Amino acid sequence: MNETKQHNTTAAAFNFRTYAWKRFRQHKAAVVALYVLIGLMLVAVLAPVIANDKPIYCKLHNEHLFPIFTTKNKYILIDNNTNDTIQLQLDIAPWKTMNFESVLWPPIPWYPGKGDSDNRGYKSPGDDQFRTTAVGGSEQLRGLNKHVLGTNASGEDVLAGLIHGTRISLLIGICAMFIASILGLTIGAIAGFYGDHRIRTSWFSVVIFSFGWIPAWFYGFQIRAYQLSDALSDSAFHFLGELVLTALIFLTIVYVFYLISRLFQNTGRIIKIPIDTIISRGIEIFNSIPALILIIALAAIAKQESIIYVVLIIGLTSWTGIARLTRAELLRIREMEYMTAAKALGFSERRQLFVHALRNGIGPALVAISFGIASAILIESGLSFLGIGVPKDVATWGQLLYQGKENFQAWWLVVFPGIAIFVTVTVYNIIGEALRDAFDPRLKK
Amino acid sequence: MLRYILRRILLFIPALFVISLLAFLISTQAPGDPVEMMMKGGTGDASGNARNSFQQRQELHRQLGLHLPVFYFSLGSYSDCDTLSEIPEKKIRENAARLIHETGNTDGVMRYIALVLRHEQQLQISSSTDLMEDQLRANALTHIRALQVAHEHDKIQYHGVQAVALMKTAERLGKKLNVSSSELQSGLSSILFEHKKWKTYIPVVHWHGYNQYHRWLFGDSGHPDDRGRTFTNGAIRGDFGFSLSTKLSVATTIKEALPWSIVFTVCSIILAYLIAVPIGVWSAMYHNSRIDRISSYVLFTLYSLPVFFVATLLLITFANPDVFNWLPASGIKPAIGYPEHADWLEKFQLSLPHLVLPLICYTYSSLAFLSRTTRVSILEIARQDFIRTAQAKGLSPAKVFFKHALRNALLPLITVFAGIFPMAVGGSVIIEFIFTIPGMGREILQAVTTKDYPMIVAVFTLSGTMTLIGYLIADILYAWADPRIQYEK
Repeated sequence: MNETKQHNTTAAAFNFRTYAWKRFRQHKAAVVALYVLIGLMLVAVLAPVIANDKPIYCKLHNEHLFPIFTTKNKYILIDNNTNDTIQLQLDIAPWKTMNFESVLWPPIPWYPGKGDSDNRGYKSPGDDQFRTTAVGGSEQLRGLNKHVLGTNASGEDVLAGLIHGTRISLLIGICAMFIASILGLTIGAIAGFYGDHRIRTSWFSVVIFSFGWIPAWFYGFQIRAYQLSDALSDSAFHFLGELVLTALIFLTIVYVFYLISRLFQNTGRIIKIPIDTIISRGIEIFNSIPALILIIALAAIAKQESIIYVVLIIGLTSWTGIARLTRAELLRIREMEYMTAAKALGFSERRQLFVHALRNGIGPALVAISFGIASAILIESGLSFLGIGVPKDVATWGQLLYQGKENFQAWWLVVFPGIAIFVTVTVYNIIGEALRDAFDPRLKK
Repeated sequence: MLRYILRRILLFIPALFVISLLAFLISTQAPGDPVEMMMKGGTGDASGNARNSFQQRQELHRQLGLHLPVFYFSLGSYSDCDTLSEIPEKKIRENAARLIHETGNTDGVMRYIALVLRHEQQLQISSSTDLMEDQLRANALTHIRALQVAHEHDKIQYHGVQAVALMKTAERLGKKLNVSSSELQSGLSSILFEHKKWKTYIPVVHWHGYNQYHRWLFGDSGHPDDRGRTFTNGAIRGDFGFSLSTKLSVATTIKEALPWSIVFTVCSIILAYLIAVPIGVWSAMYHNSRIDRISSYVLFTLYSLPVFFVATLLLITFANPDVFNWLPASGIKPAIGYPEHADWLEKFQLSLPHLVLPLICYTYSSLAFLSRTTRVSILEIARQDFIRTAQAKGLSPAKVFFKHALRNALLPLITVFAGIFPMAVGGSVIIEFIFTIPGMGREILQAVTTKDYPMIVAVFTLSGTMTLIGYLIADILYAWADPRIQYEK
């Protein structure tokens, strides 16, 4: 017990990761950027509570209601005085003009996609804004009840759009890079760790293993193609479920064939598989594909417009940078003494790769991931600016900016979304730079 | 070196193959029926009689080569059918494929589809003036058309029963609809009840000799149609076919759009290098001075600014009657066109105001990237001994940095240079969209929104080729800039 503890403290003293973190914290701008990022994430997570046209909590006819959090689409209430039943349709109820017994409104009482009919037609932040009251008069909006950052043509609140757009941007950036990093790390690690000479097996098992991809594709994707496309038109959630199931079937079959091929490891002539060359050439070819045109073309031909498509497309096209960096790092790491030690201790190759090599080689990939999220967000907002890929009814920064381009007078539709994109992209770029400095081996002591 | 170039060119072949294949596969997956699009704006008498329109459809289907299998091989199931691609209408073809997938009864489905197609045609031939008959005919036709695109069991049953009932009524009343209800009934029962689902679970690899991809790539000169005609020379000979929306040849469209993209790309890259390299070198020379820090911040900001934001900001500031109405907002020449007999200098003068804003947008981001790269690589070089030697020799700082250091810091600059080739072809979609420049970027966007796939495939392939050429040129320039680089292993 005592021994292991001591071992841990000595390890910590020479831990490169702790050292890198220390270097990262010395980078003042990066620390600020990190706080801004955390703030943005909070906004993204809490968006429905921050900006919503329904109250967070309200008391109506002695009932405690939480209109934002409920999954119902209508409330049925009983009036105390007259004993009438009142139906309250959640999405069209006139929340703003109701008489609540007590109420808690979100700080910004507007929701993107729901125009404020009283303030239609590009109301600027400086304009006086009014609302029709229940009795037919009109009152001036003040403070946060106002459209603080103005409205667009149909009276949608810009600030509410920005807050909900944060969700989409961060979600797409992070999810796309998650996919890209899984692909990039795995492929790069395999290329770097095994190199050209380490995989030796019989040609017979190669044949069996490569044959396995055919049934895997067939039973995974081809048979289930209609199920997948039906699920996509149903809902994003359903589609994800089907996709995971499909991927599981695919991987299981590939794995089964891998196990079978292992049985024939020594049957026939033994050959080396130049996996590094294959992957490097593959990446070279992949890089010569015009990525932006590919993304636009893919996003435009997608049968339905969906955020999932955008995430998948960006994720599947931006893994090469991560793969290249990981490969280079692992080429270096695999010659290290601790890798020899791991091998000498008799750990399996998989453990050597994933536990020992990859965990130490993740630094450069982190840098690429950080820059990658920035560029994924740029691509997403560019696509929504062009009106491609992201559905029209989803509030995004790019789409707001496009509305500003359509009406030169509405500068607030250009400036605020632009700043939002700029800040988010800059934050990731600064963090990326700081990470690069922190992980740069040349700067180590 | 020569051997290295040759090897690189050899790598072109698989890369080009992958790119063209990818472009081609995307185009086959695109929604929308190319035949339908050709018919819409084409030789169009839309009201022409039914048999004619069916034949026209079939003709176009063959002209576009869509009756062929997609690729050299395909992975399918035992229930697959090779005559499926002969069905000229995409919706019906896809529905037939789905029916086969769901029932496994290939022959039954193909017979059934042929039957409903024939029924549709026959129901459209009307010779009588009998109101009753026309009514029956029209009703039966709606149900037959619904059957052509229905794959759900309930729907088929519903429309099937209705159609059969209508035909039976007609037969009872002695009206001639030229269709037989019993035939339809047996066809329906075969797809509704005779399932051979097991067939769909057996994977089969099909081989196809002559296919759509082959035809697209090499042309159909070896495979003329039954009247001995050929329609395409193949992409390999520069024939990318015809645009589906404008009906113009893709090559002509590209020829018209390409010069504008090239003008912008070349001008902006020259500007970017002229401005960026000195800034980069200077800030490296005065490392950590105030100038260096300010320029670093400015460049970092520029680098993170999204281009559509900057472009829109510039537009609403400098092309806005309410703020500064200095520059035109869109296009590349005056709205009324050039005056007659204008020589190129006059044309250039007239176009100049239109070029300013787009050029700024084209330039600023590559400028920021370039000077940052220059600065970093010169800073790295500046630590090395030969720079210290040069300084010790008493050379002026300008000479040390611009001559000795810059040459050694050229490599990253060359990498950026390689990137302009695909940009010239692809254009900048966003900038051309914002400023309505009739270049490649706008063509691409238009093609994508109108699902004009021959155009997309052409641009995609061209742009990929240019990327490869860019890489090659970069490699040659690396060797020129740094003689230490040895390409022979």
